[in-house]
Amino acid sequence: MSAIFPSEEWLKELEVKINSDQHYAEVARNWEGDIFFIIEPEGNLTEPLTFYLDLWHGKCRKVEYNPAASAHPKPVFILSASYNNITAILTGKLNPMTAMMTMKLKVSGSMGYMMRNVPTVLDFVRVAQETTTDIL
Amino acid sequence: MQPILKINLTDNTTEEFSIPKEWERDFLGGASLAARILYPYLTKELDPLSPESPLLFLNGPLGGTNGPTTGRFVICGKGAATNLWAESNIGGFWGPELRKTGYDGLWITGKAQSPTYLWIEGDRFEVRSAANVWGKDVYEAQEIVKAEIGVKGARVAVIGEAGERGVLYASICCDHGRMAGRTGLGAVMGSKNLKAIAVHGKNKIEVAERYAQLRSEANRTLKQDNEAKILHELGSASAANYAEYLGAMPSKYYHQGSYKGVDKISGSKTAETILVGQSACQGCVIACGRVVDLGDGTKRKGPEYETIVGFGPNLLIDDLVEVARLGELCDKYGMDTISTANTIGLAFHLFELGKITPQDTGGLALAWGSFLAARQLIHMIARREGIGDLMANGSRAFGKAFGAEEEAVQVNGLEVAYHDPRGVSGMALSYATSPRGACHNQSDYFFVDWGHTYDEIGINFYERHAQAEKAANVAKHQNWRTHFNSVVICIFANVSPQTQVDLLNAALDLDWTMEDLMKSGERAWNLKRAINIRMGLTAANDKLPKALLEPYHEGGAKGFAPDLKGMLAAYYEARGWDLETGKPSKQKLLELGLQDIAKDLWS
Repeated sequence: MSAIFPSEEWLKELEVKINSDQHYAEVARNWEGDIFFIIEPEGNLTEPLTFYLDLWHGKCRKVEYNPAASAHPKPVFILSASYNNITAILTGKLNPMTAMMTMKLKVSGSMGYMMRNVPTVLDFVRVAQETTTDIL
Repeated sequence: MQPILKINLTDNTTEEFSIPKEWERDFLGGASLAARILYPYLTKELDPLSPESPLLFLNGPLGGTNGPTTGRFVICGKGAATNLWAESNIGGFWGPELRKTGYDGLWITGKAQSPTYLWIEGDRFEVRSAANVWGKDVYEAQEIVKAEIGVKGARVAVIGEAGERGVLYASICCDHGRMAGRTGLGAVMGSKNLKAIAVHGKNKIEVAERYAQLRSEANRTLKQDNEAKILHELGSASAANYAEYLGAMPSKYYHQGSYKGVDKISGSKTAETILVGQSACQGCVIACGRVVDLGDGTKRKGPEYETIVGFGPNLLIDDLVEVARLGELCDKYGMDTISTANTIGLAFHLFELGKITPQDTGGLALAWGSFLAARQLIHMIARREGIGDLMANGSRAFGKAFGAEEEAVQVNGLEVAYHDPRGVSGMALSYATSPRGACHNQSDYFFVDWGHTYDEIGINFYERHAQAEKAANVAKHQNWRTHFNSVVICIFANVSPQTQVDLLNAALDLDWTMEDLMKSGERAWNLKRAINIRMGLTAANDKLPKALLEPYHEGGAKGFAPDLKGMLAAYYEARGWDLETGKPSKQKLLELGLQDIAKDLWS
């Protein structure tokens, strides 16, 4: 299936991939937390875009494409980045750790939980990269 | 920069030393400027514990200006155990307080006839008897000195019993547990019969209007930084889980590549269990310092990453409260926790190998995981009792005493910190080439190996097990951190190179570019190298201990060992250093404006 980022099809495909990836299931077996992504407009993206993913014990229970922030007032993490930085991560041009450490990816939420689960976060990025067949 | 007050403790004479303007221009301040000032005095023949040995406390040019993490200062001289260039960077509030007296440095030589402390208030200078504080721990001593001088707001830098007894990794403390821990400058201070230096000033630290604007913006940005938020919430031990995952957190004295108990001692666990608050150095918006309650209702300093790993995984102790107590005990005695834990780890290791026995330890069984044995050894080291007397000379000398110098995980007499080059290969060069021995702060390259790049100054990402190809990148990172040590700011301040240039230009009325900033760092790095060459260092000193060159059999770094020879060859080329001697080339020294140094090294 073609999964062009950003699109609702891409997000649905990501959900499918997460739920079928055995390595992710193992690495993220203890992860409990939903994530709200905010992609700031830049380049080909002219309006802000949001994604919501409910990740639980190595599976994805729910995704939402472009929900309002008010629909998910207390996600465990809010991640925000510009469109170019997000696409650079998805295409492997930008190391996700570099993105976080240089503030190209802003993180809001429990840092204690994040630092315990860096391998889970990195494996989530791997699955998202493998889902992405093209960039808008 | 303001003048430096030179104090000779032998005859209690003082004189002001005005810093030459061209030195300020080329070296800014802090450790870089100290290297320039002390260059003529740091000779091969100099005994670091002799009266002639200089001890220089020095601010940076932004000290106390409330810029991002600018409340720090450095202490420099000749290393007690290393016999090489020594510098130790320390936070707290003492440096800014010194600045308010009208001085930016204290340059101490000589030896007092009896235990002494100094009291400096504005231009008033007193030498006082330390009879009441000699033998006291660093916290008691500060309180007694403050009570004796009776001036609110005074700050006290102090040594503990370890410094008094010449433990070669004794530290100097100010405020509540801020430590100049590395290179044994507490022993140098103790050798001068100098227990403490109290300072209080009334001068206002003036800043330019443009700087005031920029520092506020920089502090606001820093407060929102991901790393700063992590350090505030979890402290530096936030790194433990991921470091362990990568095989970069050594355990069992660098012989075990993974540690299942990591989550019992990590920064996350600290935050969830014993943490009751944060503490900050002067003007710092990060506040990485831990305030903990160990169950007795007392608020005290909590451990940071090095202390947690040193007394935790390194000794296979997974009890966070006991680890915190071991760190506190070292602090009270005034001993560097990295070197103390490392040397105790070596003792455990040699005990396991049968190279030392209960006969050597006075019957003490050195069993992995025993915090009671570790605690007893800390007491014995600080008091130089029994086997502790040998351990107080550092791991290199201790290993040598039992015919096992090669087992000591140290470089040039400074114990290796807890960032394993088998997990993050850049640390191989950081440790092997640091001017003060196996130091993780002259280049905390593990962060770069995690992914922290600096595009603006060409510090890029290389895979964590890449080798010679990252050598030039390590050199750039060392130059960058040398800049930090000249301004004397904290390596946790994730402030962009351009912002740092802007802050310096605004504060000091300069017109520097990022290239100037990096060149300043490179200049000082080469100067420190030249100091060490004059004190006998050669290319043969750029090495790693045996343990770090043997691959782990498990964990995230399984099977990998750095090819140090190949890395060093590429590093020397990137540095413009002579492959045979390890000296900076004449051409490089001239290019950096170090004509007199070039003449000394190459004539």
